[in-house]
Amino acid sequence: MTTLPTKQNKKLGLVIDLDICVGCHACAVNCKEWNTSGHSSPLHDIDPYGDDPTGVWFNRIHTFEVESEINGSKTVHFPKSCLHCSDAPCVTVCPTGASYKREEDGIVLVNPDTCIGCKLCSWSCPYGAREYDEEAGIMKKCTLCVDKIYNENIPEADRVPACVSTCPAGARSFGDLGDENSDIFKLVEERNGYDLMPEQDCAPTNKYLPPREKNNQSNKKELESITKDNEITFDSWKEIIENASK
Amino acid sequence: MHPSKSIIFFTVFSGTGYGILLCLSYLAILTDINFDNNFKLLLMITSFVFISSGLLSSTLHLGHPERAWRSFSQWKSSWLSREGLAAVVTFLPLMIFYLFWYLDSFLYIYFLHSTSILCLITIYCTGQMYATIKTIPAWNNKMVTPIYTINSICVGALTVYCFTRFYGFEINYLYHFTIVSLSLCLFLKVIYWYIISKKIVSTANSATGLGKNNNISLFEGPHTGKNFLTTEMINKIKKEKANFLRLCFVVLTCVLPIYMIIQEASLIIDSFMLKVSFFLVLIFALIGMLIERYLFFIQAKHVVSLYYGEKKSINE
Repeated sequence: MTTLPTKQNKKLGLVIDLDICVGCHACAVNCKEWNTSGHSSPLHDIDPYGDDPTGVWFNRIHTFEVESEINGSKTVHFPKSCLHCSDAPCVTVCPTGASYKREEDGIVLVNPDTCIGCKLCSWSCPYGAREYDEEAGIMKKCTLCVDKIYNENIPEADRVPACVSTCPAGARSFGDLGDENSDIFKLVEERNGYDLMPEQDCAPTNKYLPPREKNNQSNKKELESITKDNEITFDSWKEIIENASK
Repeated sequence: MHPSKSIIFFTVFSGTGYGILLCLSYLAILTDINFDNNFKLLLMITSFVFISSGLLSSTLHLGHPERAWRSFSQWKSSWLSREGLAAVVTFLPLMIFYLFWYLDSFLYIYFLHSTSILCLITIYCTGQMYATIKTIPAWNNKMVTPIYTINSICVGALTVYCFTRFYGFEINYLYHFTIVSLSLCLFLKVIYWYIISKKIVSTANSATGLGKNNNISLFEGPHTGKNFLTTEMINKIKKEKANFLRLCFVVLTCVLPIYMIIQEASLIIDSFMLKVSFFLVLIFALIGMLIERYLFFIQAKHVVSLYYGEKKSINE
């Protein structure tokens, strides 16, 4: 059914630390790598080696320049994938019931056998999380690696989404954001994790941790003048070098 | 938003077909609509061809048209599902109406009105499907559904009016109904254009959460090429071009038909020219409506554009 589940036993999701992300795109690449042979396989590419390649990706990394009066200018790498919203509009607009949210863990998925490819779900998503597969004629999206996190054929340590296990900087965390005792929930509390576009009322599960404030003020040291009268002549240079060599 | 040809064709032609029936329903309340059989047949064929070709066209943009039947299942939550269901159910009283009307049975009136109610429900569902998409501020607007409705009614009425010119007879009340609905269409659309130019919902700041008062600009996109999101949801049209197209719509769909209807007696000399002129009026009005639908899509800005360099989700 395309109605949302009335209760959610778990709220599995990601926490992305914008303070740590270095913008290497490894999470996007490993996402494509895993998912092109997983639940939504294959993730088609069109004209992959041509002049104008496009293709289905579940995770894309944007880079923003943030100019602030207090902190000056800074570059922030901003990975974005499905936020597995609690109030997911992409689920309720679906005319066939192909788009659904799981009661057991809150993961939003598309049933590839019943999707008619009307694209309405992608229109209703404010985050651009859904991508239409032109070749397959159906909508595809991040599965939170549902075929990896419960997979008993792989070591337990690897049972996290591909983007999380591959991140070399540790900018991505995975866990149950509905459990107040979980590490991930505490991390969000501690670092003031926030929702993207709260005004869209989607109640996203994934949270973002803001970049830390720059702490330039305390480290700033006044440079000391190397001459007494603030006037450097050739002779004074000679004096300085001579003093230094002694 | 990407202006999909099949959807533009669908809303214009199905809408006009529904409009013809709504216009007949209105006339039937006030006057006798037992026209001669040829005229009835023309209206039946036109409304049927318009409605069904529009509906068929709407399935063309689907990735899997053969699965379209599945869309009848989620009427509890999805406006698209309700629209599909209403559109199909409408055919039942419609076919019975055609039959009874052609056979001059008095029963046609009940089926005409029930068809009209279902037509209104279908148009309402279509309008609501767009009006409930919060991510597109230009659509998430109380005027979208009334505009869908009036678009259907005014072009439907104009179609019936032009047909009466071909056959050279008058239908009471149709003259005023056509002029009023065309004027109302223009009036609502102008208000709509004003409203969407003022509405800001989300900004790059709320989209990224990187400080409310900071200046946030895209330094580097996720990739150098295009993707589904940029082709489907981030479409731009130059303001001058958009304004020119708006003018085209206003002239072709509203001003020209109203002028021709009012000035008919003083303009047209012989009956052949009259037929040709009103045939062209109808064609131009439909072209104007296609332009209006095109603008409805191309000028609608999706908030995902905030992740691709836009700073505010405002419409030009």
